[in-house]
Amino acid sequence: MDEANASCLELTGVWKIFGTKSERALDMAEKGASRAEILSATNCTVGVHNVTFDVNWGETFVVMGLSGSGKSTLIRCIAQLTDVTRGSIDLDGSDLTRMSEADLRQVRREKMSMVFQHFGLLPHRRVLDNVAYGLEIQGVKKQQRAERALEVLEIVGLEGWGNHYPQQLSGGMQQRVGLARALAVDPQLLFFDEPFSALDPLIRRDMQDELIRLQEQMHRTIVFITHDFAEAIKLGDRIAIMKDGALDQIGTAAELITNPATDYVAEFTKDVPKAKVLTAADVMEPLNGANIESDRVLANASIESILPSLLTRSEPMEVIDTDGVAVGMIDRQAVARVLEI
Amino acid sequence: MTTGTAPAWQAISSDTLRKAIPWLTLIVGVVVLQASFASSDGFPAALDTFISDPFDALGAWIRANRRSHGLFTGFFNPLTDVLNFSIDGIEAVLLWLPWYVVVGGAFLIPARVKMWKQGLVAAAVLIYTGLIGLWEPTMETLALMSVAVMIAVLIGVPLGIWAALRPTVEKFLRPILDAMQTVPAFVYFLPLIGFFGIGSVNAAVATVIYALAPVVRLTTLGIKQVPVQSVESARMFGSSTRQTLLKVQIPMALPTILTGLTQTIMMALGIVVLAALMGAGGLGENVFQSLSQRRTGRGIAAGLAIVAVAIVLDRVWRSLADIDPLSRTPRRWMWGGIGTLVAATVIGRTMGVIEFPDVWSLRLFDPIDNVVVWSRDNLTWITRPVNDFIVAGIVVPVRDFLTETLAWPVLPFVTGWACWKVKDWKLALFGAGSVVVIGLIGMWELSINTLVQVMTATIISVAIAIPIGIWAGRKPRIEAAMGPILDALQTIPSLVYIIPVVILFTVGVVPGIIASVLYAIVPGIRISALGIRQVPEESVEASRTFGATPRQTMLGVRIPLAGPTIMTAINQVIMMVLAMVIIAGFVGGGGLGFETIRALTRSLFGLGAEVGLALVLIAMVLDRYTQAWGERLQPPTGH
Repeated sequence: MDEANASCLELTGVWKIFGTKSERALDMAEKGASRAEILSATNCTVGVHNVTFDVNWGETFVVMGLSGSGKSTLIRCIAQLTDVTRGSIDLDGSDLTRMSEADLRQVRREKMSMVFQHFGLLPHRRVLDNVAYGLEIQGVKKQQRAERALEVLEIVGLEGWGNHYPQQLSGGMQQRVGLARALAVDPQLLFFDEPFSALDPLIRRDMQDELIRLQEQMHRTIVFITHDFAEAIKLGDRIAIMKDGALDQIGTAAELITNPATDYVAEFTKDVPKAKVLTAADVMEPLNGANIESDRVLANASIESILPSLLTRSEPMEVIDTDGVAVGMIDRQAVARVLEI
Repeated sequence: MTTGTAPAWQAISSDTLRKAIPWLTLIVGVVVLQASFASSDGFPAALDTFISDPFDALGAWIRANRRSHGLFTGFFNPLTDVLNFSIDGIEAVLLWLPWYVVVGGAFLIPARVKMWKQGLVAAAVLIYTGLIGLWEPTMETLALMSVAVMIAVLIGVPLGIWAALRPTVEKFLRPILDAMQTVPAFVYFLPLIGFFGIGSVNAAVATVIYALAPVVRLTTLGIKQVPVQSVESARMFGSSTRQTLLKVQIPMALPTILTGLTQTIMMALGIVVLAALMGAGGLGENVFQSLSQRRTGRGIAAGLAIVAVAIVLDRVWRSLADIDPLSRTPRRWMWGGIGTLVAATVIGRTMGVIEFPDVWSLRLFDPIDNVVVWSRDNLTWITRPVNDFIVAGIVVPVRDFLTETLAWPVLPFVTGWACWKVKDWKLALFGAGSVVVIGLIGMWELSINTLVQVMTATIISVAIAIPIGIWAGRKPRIEAAMGPILDALQTIPSLVYIIPVVILFTVGVVPGIIASVLYAIVPGIRISALGIRQVPEESVEASRTFGATPRQTMLGVRIPLAGPTIMTAINQVIMMVLAMVIIAGFVGGGGLGFETIRALTRSLFGLGAEVGLALVLIAMVLDRYTQAWGERLQPPTGH
């Protein structure tokens, strides 16, 4: 699985500064001036502050931040809906920031698509025509694109709704249309800009589960923006925490929880139900040659599921991977330390 | 604004004194100017030809070069020919077709997209024009207005889209559009006659200029109102600018663009009567005849026929713009309908059944004439005193006071002072300057004459419209009941309802004022009612919970909060009254209106330019002054 480890999208030193004196603002920012200082001196706002990260093939990469953290600006930069002030964004080795408008249009048609927070559906077109929009733009024949649209509508669970207009559908269903529209063009890279934040909590959970299910089948590369930490750890293979335009930390959910880099990150992880999120592998200690004669637990079992058996014994348990090989040991002291009980 | 930084002398002097200073300036200024210029006799007439001479020269040059100069032979004349050809062509086709085929077509075009009701209405109003014996002039007007509206759309929609996509274009267009809507239409009639000659073409061009602004504005608005998300999602799927425009922005803006189209048709309707003045013929001609023959009934009949043309145009255009593929009448039926019409044409032409049968002709409306004549003979006890009061009690004394008693410099001074008080010195300079310019071009007395009539009409209109509007804003049912009356007043050409007024009050200043009032109260009522209705219910309820009486709530909450909107209503009233100045000129109002007609009918370019400039300046000063006042009433925002 060589391809799985190669990165699909690479951001290197991306800056976005709003305002006319962006060069001067950039100089100040590089010398360590704060956002407020830059604003008062140049009337410029720093939207994205020197962001660098890679997104791997087939990975769900979540950018999490509160409002004003610059996460929406960041995804708009990546999608080239807004120009970046400095830095490069490489997709398959070609830099999006240096592309001509025509080349960019071609990349958009062939490689990427996006799901928007407020759906961005076209109210004057039926659901079917909304889903087929990307194909229509590419010049696909009417019959063909209708077939493909029907196919995708079925995937997102909207069979039979093609002839309705978007306004006739509930919010959750409208976002399924948005999802279907994005999938119809068969993109390798999908952007989600807070797609579920406008939905009710229960429908939001359904949509999250739906996305997980689809991703298990499709293995697309996804960049997902959210302000909800619970959503981030539920969906993300890796999570980037954003604050004041810059990234505080990038890591898996377990890494963020067990080892927060800053107090800001720790603030978010504090209320997370750790026993549900962490697995035995996240908490285990090295065997160091010890030979444990006791029950075994699987490395990917959640702490919550092994807690009852763990609490009844004082000696450690052996942790094994799916092939049955011992990879570490876990005891109730280690669990208590992580869970802070 | 100045708290904390007020100069020392202001802090020392008492509050009352500070408030009194502007007023003292006013009084001292007026007294000084009056005293030093009291002996001068009106505005000095030294410079009054510096505008008219070049324009007269232009007029002479146009007359001399119409057939030879490249500007005409290479541009205006061919353009005139093309427009003439299309107007005459459409008219000829409409008259060549048997009348029932035209009616059938008016039904079939909307029916194509299942707009059955609209199709029936369009057909019915056309039959009306035939029944009253006005089929032929109706077709003439229909042809003229079709071409005018088509040109307005062809120019206006692309221009509006361009402005929506390029902020610099919008910035450039906005003042031009503002001017097009502020300047009374008849001001640019004369130059158009110069370039396009007498006939339907310059009427069409005048209509286009007059009616273009709403299409452009609402197209721009519609495109800009398309949610950013929809445009961005189109871009994210790799749409080109053109694809985004055609597949997303224009379809989503279409309802707003159609609103603009309806407004354009309504404005074009307002100009049909005046178009007759430029030799366009059609229904406007009939209205003029009715006015000169004092036949109210016929005037109303022709006026309603003009409304019918507007209805047909509106319904047909709307149905043409319907792009929803789901709302299509089955093709079989449409071919059936078209086949029937073709067959009817062939049979009708060969049998010679083409013209609308003479059923009622104009006799249907003759009883109205009797009512008006009876009123004239029996209501003198009302009409005479009203007439005398307006003429002898208001218009004449005020006019004499302004032109004879006051020294001329007082007027620009007071204008400037009022503008400064409501906004700033820039507006003051503009206001005072405008008054001086009007004097310089020799329009001093004519303008004051017109201004007095305009102000009288405005005050009467405001006194009627604002209370009714406030009342209607509180009671939706009353507003709904008034709806049809207001619609009729606004859509029926104003020359029509001036006919009974002329008969009742005889020719003079009063019919013009009354017609202006009738025309201007409509937006006054509508907009002030809107202002009252838009007051947030929360504010009203908050007032009620503190135990305010309905009167206290009205005076303390509703009216202040509706203030800016009510000022907009007053602004619109003034603009409407100004648009009626020429109509007043027709019925003996004198002033600038009469001079406009004189300039138009005798092609006096210099006089036309002077009258036009004077009217434009009056309109702009009044417009900016009332707008500035409205801004002052706006509650300050947090920023």
